[in-house]
Amino acid sequence: MAKPNRVEVLSPEGCRTVVADEGTAGREPGSLWTMAPRLDDLRGKTVYLVDTGFGGSGKFLDEMQAWLAEHLPTVVAVRRRKTGHVFRDDTKDLWAEIKERGQAAVLGVAG
Amino acid sequence: MAADRRYYGVPLRFAYTPHPVAGMTSSVLRSYVEGVDPASGRLVMDEVVDALTKPLGPGERVVEHARVPWSRLPQELIEPDTEDNLQRLFYERGWTDGLPVILPTRERVAAMLEGTTHLPDEVVGEIYLERTFERVRFTVEMVAIIGVMAGARPEHLPVILAVASTAEPSIPRSTTPFGRMLLVNGPVRHEIGMNAGVGAFSPRTLANSVIGRAWTLLTISWGGFRLKEQFWSSQGNPVSYSNMCVAENEEASPWEPFHVEKGFEATESTVSLFRGWNVVNNVVGSSHRSVGEDMFTQIRPLVSPYSAATLVLDPLVARHLESDQGFKTKAAFCRWLSEHFRLPAREYWDNDVVDMLVGPLAVRGVEPYATWRNLPPDTLIAPYDKPAEMNVVVVGGETSPMWKVSDFSYTVSASVDRWRAQPLTTECDDGSCGLAGESLPHAGYPRPGDSSTGTPPAAF
Repeated sequence: MAKPNRVEVLSPEGCRTVVADEGTAGREPGSLWTMAPRLDDLRGKTVYLVDTGFGGSGKFLDEMQAWLAEHLPTVVAVRRRKTGHVFRDDTKDLWAEIKERGQAAVLGVAG
Repeated sequence: MAADRRYYGVPLRFAYTPHPVAGMTSSVLRSYVEGVDPASGRLVMDEVVDALTKPLGPGERVVEHARVPWSRLPQELIEPDTEDNLQRLFYERGWTDGLPVILPTRERVAAMLEGTTHLPDEVVGEIYLERTFERVRFTVEMVAIIGVMAGARPEHLPVILAVASTAEPSIPRSTTPFGRMLLVNGPVRHEIGMNAGVGAFSPRTLANSVIGRAWTLLTISWGGFRLKEQFWSSQGNPVSYSNMCVAENEEASPWEPFHVEKGFEATESTVSLFRGWNVVNNVVGSSHRSVGEDMFTQIRPLVSPYSAATLVLDPLVARHLESDQGFKTKAAFCRWLSEHFRLPAREYWDNDVVDMLVGPLAVRGVEPYATWRNLPPDTLIAPYDKPAEMNVVVVGGETSPMWKVSDFSYTVSASVDRWRAQPLTTECDDGSCGLAGESLPHAGYPRPGDSSTGTPPAAF
């Protein structure tokens, strides 16, 4: 019995040209970012719980707020919804408010 | 506490909840809060508290951004094998839509490239892979490989290139069942035998089938659309096999072709892309009420944000609307729908997608959404307030007065003519013949005026 023909084919992923560019968020390449320092603890602190607006996230953060009230009652947990579009980095007013009045923020959730 | 580099390289601290969150009851969500992070195995709230209080590590204090230069990944060498084994390999690598493909041999790809005079190494577009932070550029040659796999002929290649040039995926990344529609307008419809008439959306006509299929194979191959990697749609959508690829029945329509509405000349050939979730077909016709009133019953469960809707009308319906009901343009019919369709405000805002996307506009005071947000729940509103966002397309074979109503939005149109095969003797003033642009190494196919013999360049 004759052997089946062997075929030479090309990969559909081809010669991909790739850059591992993580983005610069509008900054010049090589610029520096500094993460905000962490808190010593949360007691007596104002923590913003920011709902992205994705379905269910508000209800989830309601439950997180209830948990904080029960387990860390001195935390002032402020529930807010992200202003602007749910999928875009277009919020300014709320971030300014958190910087002025809050000490920490939790942003969530998607899914 | 999980550090992650998802956001512009900043090592944000993430805690993960079980999935899904959307649609879960309060008690389930409370169990998520009190439960374990499925990624780390630690309690979710321990992770949240730690994220806010644990001192920053060395890698978190300062992040230096640096653009990494483009780098070329070599063309993967696939060992020659039998057709059966290669079919299996392609499937197992996740390069197919689950169906057998035409294997892209060098000869078949070279033949496919005859469908355009653009050089194989010309960059067609670029996509971003969020999972790996990669930007992937793709070339004419790579599109031709996909065209072969889809079963296309060389004459189909310009249309597939036009779709690829938009860099839009046929399967948007989402846990929802997104679907797409691909509409072709202009003379190319006839030249390549596209179906705009009887059974245009059905699996019957080569051009419709292979062009629509190629779009999804493009998405799968370059978008890394492996199940549970980049592809998480909970149920998926059968539309994605061929993406409702169809031509507009311009000759039977009483109205302007779709691409002319978008600023193209009638003599130009284009592809136009749409995106949404739901398509509702009417059945029989509308003997007891007007077409528009019938559509209200179909639009109601679809209510989508931003007035997004696409109506696909058989020519019988289009001509009825134009001659019997006096809608002299597609836009006139959309305006009528916009003005007359009503919905209780509560029904509108209780739609999660509307709340997610339109809710922030209401909060910002954008009208009419801010007013709608404060209305008594039973007050009727006209939620399709932007008739310009509603689209009408004429497709069908006039065997019955059928139509489809969808929540699809129009996303983009692209020129097919740009990618056509031009006479090889064509010259232009600057010598570029419209082919200027960045190039990537190609796999060495013979091409017009090229002495290449098919040997891959050293980069491979």
